[in-house]
Amino acid sequence: MSKNTSSFMVEIKHHKTVQHQPNKTLLESIEQHVEIQYHCREGYCGACRTKLLKGEVEYQTDPLAFIEDDEILPCCCFPISPINIEIS
Amino acid sequence: MKYTTFNQVNNNPLLEPMFFGNPVNVARYDQQKHHIFEKLIEKQISFFWRPEEVDVSKDRVDFQKLSDSEKHIFISNLKYQTLLDSIQGRSPNIAFLPIISIPELETWVETWSFFETIHSRSYTHILRNLFGDPSSIFDDIVENEEIKKRAADISKYYDDLIFATQLWQTLGEGTHTIKGETHVITMRELKKKLYLCMNSVNALEAIRFYVSFACTFAFAERELMEGNSKIIRLIARDENLHLTSTQHVLNLWAKGKDDPEMAEIAEECKEQATQIFLNAVEQEKEWAGFLFQHGSMIGLNKEILCQYVEFIANHRMSAIGLGQPFDIKNNPLPWMNNYLSSDNVQVAPQESEISSYLVGQIDSEVNSDDFGDFDL
Repeated sequence: MSKNTSSFMVEIKHHKTVQHQPNKTLLESIEQHVEIQYHCREGYCGACRTKLLKGEVEYQTDPLAFIEDDEILPCCCFPISPINIEIS
Repeated sequence: MKYTTFNQVNNNPLLEPMFFGNPVNVARYDQQKHHIFEKLIEKQISFFWRPEEVDVSKDRVDFQKLSDSEKHIFISNLKYQTLLDSIQGRSPNIAFLPIISIPELETWVETWSFFETIHSRSYTHILRNLFGDPSSIFDDIVENEEIKKRAADISKYYDDLIFATQLWQTLGEGTHTIKGETHVITMRELKKKLYLCMNSVNALEAIRFYVSFACTFAFAERELMEGNSKIIRLIARDENLHLTSTQHVLNLWAKGKDDPEMAEIAEECKEQATQIFLNAVEQEKEWAGFLFQHGSMIGLNKEILCQYVEFIANHRMSAIGLGQPFDIKNNPLPWMNNYLSSDNVQVAPQESEISSYLVGQIDSEVNSDDFGDFDL
């Protein structure tokens, strides 16, 4: 398991590119810049479901909500490479 | 097929479909066909709470200060929530357990239903605090036309599945005439009823609760009825998990990861599933109209609430592959998220007014004038 210490670039489709902040979840890093829906912030409700277009993320808590193979839950993951995402 | 409480066939549960395979025999969780249900059980159990832990005594004072239209909103919501959890506290058990074929799903359904009974008990806790005798409130649930209308629509899919399952268990597949009425029971028909029922339950967990949640949290935004809001926050957290489980079941079917016949049915009945959802949206909007018929409350009115229902419906429907039928893009009630976030739910006992934590249940509030006649 990698550590959440890097600050990879997060390119958000139709929005700007933001930088991930170390030790934060992806949701915490991007919510200051774009409107993104969330509820539980713990990976079980699926409200923050987001498409991962490019790159890789790692989960810090096991995501329980249903997601498609090309989707991620920003509330409980962090990027381990530069990523491109699309918020629905 | 006759139901047996311990199936003596030495089957491999990893090869059983979620529903309509062999009845479950050994309740074992060391191996799972669908790991998600075991994870949901663990998560749900970690959420355990008791209504009595939440001090609702201040709500009684707040309630007296509410206007008549606000009292109508508050009490009507509690009645509706009581109805929903009355149904959910028993129906998944009665409808699904007799036809489930894998142990982890069986236990998930039992755990899920058990939590709904905690919710029901918490409504009694809230109402008993507000009224010395809450009987008239409970009695109205089976008399109030607005509530009965919803009850009929929610329970019909359950009732339909339960009755068909009973016929199948006692008489098997075939055409059966019961009291002059003909019923065609085939496995395909049973599975269709199951599919529609699961969609109806999913819509219930996904949006039906949210109109009343919004009202509760709108009161809490004004620092009113906060004990009630604390309880509803705990309930909302559980409901989110229940919703996740029905979304998983529906998606496992639709993606052909379980019973291949259910994948066909999902395709065939997509239109009906969409309609179930849209009907629930319409009914919730009507309910919003009923709630606000005597006037709005600060921060919330019928229009915003209807927009919120559409916004939530878009999210919930896209999660099960039904698209986003409504135009709304932005959350009209952004503060709702704060109440639905689990960070704001779990509190250490010493940080909140958990009555069982107080020694001898003594009133924890001390005002400066309590020391008025103190002399040193």
